[in-house]
Amino acid sequence: MRWNRLVISLLVPFCTSPARAEDSIHTAHQELPSRYEQFVEKRYRYWDALIPRQFVVQNAGNMGILSVGTGWNYAHNHLETHLLFGYIPAHQSTRGKLTMTVKENYIPWRVNIGQPQGADGSYLLRGWSIQPLTASLYVNTVYGHEFWKSQPRRYPNKYYEFMSTKFRLNIGLGQSVTWQIPHDWRRYAQNITLFYEVSSCDLYIRSKFIDHGVRLKDIIGLSVGMKLQTL
Amino acid sequence: MKKLAALVIPFVVLAACSDAFDTHPYDVDIHGQTGINARQTAIIESRFASKDTLRIAFISDTHGWYTDTKDEVDALNKRQDIDFVIHCGDLTDTGTTKEFEWSRNIIQNLRMPCVALIGNHDFLGTGNQTYGVMYGQMDFSFIASRIKFVCLNTNSTEYDYMAAVPNFDFMEQEVIADAARFDRTVVVMHAPPYSDQFNNNVCKAFRRYLDLFPGLVCCVYGHNHSDEVKDIYGDGLLFYGIDCAEHRNYRILTITPDGYEMEQAGY
Repeated sequence: MRWNRLVISLLVPFCTSPARAEDSIHTAHQELPSRYEQFVEKRYRYWDALIPRQFVVQNAGNMGILSVGTGWNYAHNHLETHLLFGYIPAHQSTRGKLTMTVKENYIPWRVNIGQPQGADGSYLLRGWSIQPLTASLYVNTVYGHEFWKSQPRRYPNKYYEFMSTKFRLNIGLGQSVTWQIPHDWRRYAQNITLFYEVSSCDLYIRSKFIDHGVRLKDIIGLSVGMKLQTL
Repeated sequence: MKKLAALVIPFVVLAACSDAFDTHPYDVDIHGQTGINARQTAIIESRFASKDTLRIAFISDTHGWYTDTKDEVDALNKRQDIDFVIHCGDLTDTGTTKEFEWSRNIIQNLRMPCVALIGNHDFLGTGNQTYGVMYGQMDFSFIASRIKFVCLNTNSTEYDYMAAVPNFDFMEQEVIADAARFDRTVVVMHAPPYSDQFNNNVCKAFRRYLDLFPGLVCCVYGHNHSDEVKDIYGDGLLFYGIDCAEHRNYRILTITPDGYEMEQAGY
């Protein structure tokens, strides 16, 4: 390890000095970006797309009592991807559990209500919009030795072939309302969205298919959340 | 930090205080009755301490067939002759907490006491923990009319054969425990010997342990989803297989001071 440090400390002055010389040359003809500069800019642009643009907090929804995570919006804000981490309290089991969720939201419409943010009137009355429908598809995974991805080898072939106890596929439908934060009030985010969602998971939907006596209200669950558009 | 807490706390409170929010299928957040087997066996033991003829209904493998199970409960409730009911396991299909609640809520409508064993499907995810809270110990016994009913967990595959299942120590214990209070025994299990769930390396040892029980009447099991009578070991000891709810039949065991009768009934 010490050797590494020595090599690095010897190399750093050698590497930095030519860079400084190059910089001075560049300032001389700045008009046209070089191929290298274009490449760098492109790289920045691509990696920039990975910076989380949203902060999301949501309860329930078969992901835990509470899930917190980041999100990315794209495709003219019609699509969103959320990466959430949730916690299931122990309740009457032996311990609490962590979950992770990848969630895809589709928002077909946005309806502006009230006045746009630029107009006169109180700040709180301006810049509202509602999303009358949001559709979500999400995969949740729960951590713990109790759960398996596909049936372990101790079982005969295709014993519990229909399922995984670890991964749950969920679907949800919901609505949301967004408020554009006025420019001079903005601190961490440009807008704030409150949403709710009604969802169910594959196992519950399957049970409804097996027996129609299972009531719809027993297999769906409510979830509410908040989303901050940070970028 | 304070701001974050102010954001987060309302959601936690919302999720905690309402049934409308689903935390997770395997959250073991049980609403309603728990510790069922202990309560039901206490009722059975006090109600049928000294009854000449005992009539027990055996049901099994209700899984996700809730409508069939409801019909089964209704059919049993219509009869006047049944003393208590034993469910031979597989109360659920995938072991989720909700499924346990759904099946419990149906079975609770029985007019007579009912105990339930754990089936292999009830182990899935956190199902075994939910069973533990909702019903109790996986190996248990009770005495009615001087007959001991020994209910055993035989789902060895769920433990990858690495647990004491079937539990020979428990069986040994049950031979001795309250020996003065019983002189006949009925053994109930979910998976029968030589099935895909039984630890088949100990099938013969299991048979030897069964012989320790005084006045062994017969054995009853579920798991196979078929109504069957088998002399598994070819030595005269009969094993009665109880059908699943989907096939809409159950069995009635009548034990008189002189012997017993096992009949099938449809609904």
